[in-house]
Amino acid sequence: MPTQKEMICMRMNQIVRELNDNTNCMYWVQSHYSRYVLLNQIKSKIEELHFINNLICIENEQMLRDRLQELPNQREFTLAELAEYDGKNSRPAYVSVEQIVYDVTNNATWAAATHFGLSAGKDLTNEFNACHEGQAILNKLKVVGKLV
Amino acid sequence: MDGLLSVCHGYEAKQRIVRNLIDKVMDEINEGTLLKKNLIWLELTGCSGNIISLLNGANPDFKYLMTKMANLVYSNSLMTAEGEDAVSHLVNVMNTDFILAVEGAVATKNNGLYNVIGKWRGEPLTALKAVKMLGEKAQHVMAIGACATHGGVSAAHPNPAKCVSVQSVLKRKVIKLPGCPCHPDWFMGTLAEILLYDAPKLDAKDRPVLFYSTLIHDRCPRRSFFDKGIFAKKLGDHTCMFKLGCRGPVTRTDCPVRQWNKYVNWPVEDDTPCIGCAQFGFPDLMEPFISYDTTRKERE
Repeated sequence: MPTQKEMICMRMNQIVRELNDNTNCMYWVQSHYSRYVLLNQIKSKIEELHFINNLICIENEQMLRDRLQELPNQREFTLAELAEYDGKNSRPAYVSVEQIVYDVTNNATWAAATHFGLSAGKDLTNEFNACHEGQAILNKLKVVGKLV
Repeated sequence: MDGLLSVCHGYEAKQRIVRNLIDKVMDEINEGTLLKKNLIWLELTGCSGNIISLLNGANPDFKYLMTKMANLVYSNSLMTAEGEDAVSHLVNVMNTDFILAVEGAVATKNNGLYNVIGKWRGEPLTALKAVKMLGEKAQHVMAIGACATHGGVSAAHPNPAKCVSVQSVLKRKVIKLPGCPCHPDWFMGTLAEILLYDAPKLDAKDRPVLFYSTLIHDRCPRRSFFDKGIFAKKLGDHTCMFKLGCRGPVTRTDCPVRQWNKYVNWPVEDDTPCIGCAQFGFPDLMEPFISYDTTRKERE
């Protein structure tokens, strides 16, 4: 009986083989519509890889949070201090989720330090959990401190 | 840039995909293997921008689409019939196979009385009643543009008519083509897919993947400026408008490669940030459309 890690490994190898097959098909398929069907299949397999990767990353993200608790020299922000990092007038843009403060200054989805009606310089734990719970996306952001 | 695009097969295919689909529809209609279907274009609370956009379609044009591919039974902006005579077209089509395309949001305040689209047997016919009546009978329902797909501008704060999306009042699958307005190709291509394959492949938000699968940011001709941290400081600068509030990184459409107004141009190429008009929640969640005095620090 294979372990969970071995099963994940086998599935990932299988997806890579399927991606290779689909990519090879793209070279000889003439019909544009068939090409789009193949592209969609490739896209859905990439999404599956992303899903598996997220599963692994969620574990890592928990490790990141655990590690942060252990870091004694991490900069501490009060809510008032965090509010100064609103991304206006050349200031960086920071937001906090679950007590961790992240830098979103150059994150593509935070154009002009705003994101779907939200602005930087705030604790957005509830908003994050309402839209992105279970998504391992915070580990892409630079951690700049913790909220106290 | 032009040289690069001219050798990109994906780009070339994108230009032809709608035409290829529609040619296939035409072939099958001529061979008798496919029947033309009735199409209703219902305008609710909106600005008529989507029908105007559709009239600007080029490949093929609107006349070709509506005379060869489908029987346009009802469009209050385009038909010559008036009053109850016009509404009778809606009533008569109920017992046939038809596709319902809806633009505009559904006004729900006072049981829909904020938007009366006509009269039937002396009684006001509200948009709410019409969309429910037709939506339940149609073979397919397509929500066209921002207002129909998620409320859009009509449902923006403070939303005086309590506008909602078409999906909010129908308990069935609604194919969603967001955009303010919807590109003519997105509508024509999706209609062709419906006629040929019955069910176009949709994403998790019921948008056709053929047109809505890729982020604008990922195909933006100014992407390299973003990657290198070179940002426009004002409108008119020819670099990445991320710091001005561009919503390309959160909006999925093919604007950068398809372009608008008969494939002439699109906002970013004309130095205007993407305002996320094809993203759910537009306009409220995509505001502010333009910001100065934001982070200016270049990428470290």
